Amino acid sequence: MITVTDLCKSFDGTQVLNNVSLTVAAGEVVGVIGPSGSGKSTLLRCLNHLETPDSGVIEVDGHQAYIDERGKTLSAARIADTRSGVGMVFQHFNLFPHLTVLQNVASGPRFVRRKDRAESEQRARALLAQVGLAEKADQHPEQLSGGQQQRVAIARALAMQPKVMLFDEPTSALDPELVGDVLAVMQQLAEDGMTMIVVTHEMGFVRKVAGRVIFMDEGRIVEQGSPAEIFEAPAQPRTRSFLSSVLTHTAQDGTA
Amino acid sequence: MSSLFDPDLARTAFPVLLRGLLVTVELTVICGVLSLAFGLLVALARMSPFGPLRWIVSGYVQLVRATPLLIQLIYIYYALPFVGIRFSPFVSAVLGLTLNVSAYLAEVYRSGIEAVPRGQHDAAAALGMRPSVAMVRVILPQAIRIVIPALGNYMVSLFKDTSLAAVITVQEMLFAGQIVSAETYDYFTIYTMVFILYFAVGYPAIRLVILLEKRVKAGYSGRKKLIVTPTGGVETVELIK
Repeated sequence: MITVTDLCKSFDGTQVLNNVSLTVAAGEVVGVIGPSGSGKSTLLRCLNHLETPDSGVIEVDGHQAYIDERGKTLSAARIADTRSGVGMVFQHFNLFPHLTVLQNVASGPRFVRRKDRAESEQRARALLAQVGLAEKADQHPEQLSGGQQQRVAIARALAMQPKVMLFDEPTSALDPELVGDVLAVMQQLAEDGMTMIVVTHEMGFVRKVAGRVIFMDEGRIVEQGSPAEIFEAPAQPRTRSFLSSVLTHTAQDGTA
Repeated sequence: MSSLFDPDLARTAFPVLLRGLLVTVELTVICGVLSLAFGLLVALARMSPFGPLRWIVSGYVQLVRATPLLIQLIYIYYALPFVGIRFSPFVSAVLGLTLNVSAYLAEVYRSGIEAVPRGQHDAAAALGMRPSVAMVRVILPQAIRIVIPALGNYMVSLFKDTSLAAVITVQEMLFAGQIVSAETYDYFTIYTMVFILYFAVGYPAIRLVILLEKRVKAGYSGRKKLIVTPTGGVETVELIK
């Protein structure tokens, strides 16, 4: 579904992604973990060209995305067309505050696919029901809790019927008690067969839902494998020390 | 004091001043509508990927902002005819005021566009919106809302600045006052009336701007209140339902 080859990206001389290569098959759920600044989010943002890679090739659904055969960046319009098949959910939700919840979910089909309003909103209602927020349709995002906003954001991305969903720390900005509802929606999505790449600090979710875990550090993929391999028997010392610090921290949080 | 203000003159001058006020309001509405639209186009042109357009528009904005409005009006009406460009006083005023206010409004719109968070651009792009669609559907509705109070203040300023058109013989309220007072030499009565008439329109306009500001702060649902946090961020809290 997605193939990344030798992706490099730097900001102001700092190498954020260093020859990252990665293949994600259709229906696969990949959890990306690692310390802050390890390049996880940048990798995700490169996948739908919210960041322009310095070099490397990204293929989405069998087609080279964002650059043409000669390595030239495609027009903004053609990049937009490619993105519409890749759903993305952000840490801070980024719902459109001037639109109602229903209009947010219908915005992709209406403004990108130019479907008529009734059809877009009918489908939006079904998606809102799917994330358990049918009764919030006519409210504005600012009236919803963070967890509800994130579920709306997921519904908004799903409305474009994407082939793959990217999640960029979807629960990091949420109060702890709101995390569960969002993860439940994501788990259901995974069970329904959606291809998902999830950058997250929720180790419990990754362990339970992901088919594969990727550990990144300093712009490289240090190690990848099944959750059992990575969590029970990490091969790399860097992975081991990261997991021990994160899991200890989580355990302490749990008892506090 | 009672001898200073001449009620009889006031009664005869009132209809004349009122006709002037009508022209003042007319100028304000025409220039207001034109500059709200033109200013937005200028703001968008300044963000165009096409360099020459950006330079031309930016030059226009600098030219207008660095020179007095009074001189701009005088130049259009008195100087341009020497190069064969001739407008009536009213058209000159509309042209001068619109070009002037648009330059300032363009800056206002631009600040509003820049105030829309990066995440909104990201979200629109991630859905597959092309840049123009994202601008129209996502960025501008939020940007314009942010700057509504500022736009309102510029409209009130415009209302007052139309008095400068008197210099190029547009028969707005100040010009009407000048005519009547020159005939009677009773500057006190006439200009007191002009003063009061400006206030009678200007004050409600200011109240309206304050009301708009409150509406904007109440959030998109009309139930939110913006709070500036000690760190300079902005948060919203729900008001009691």
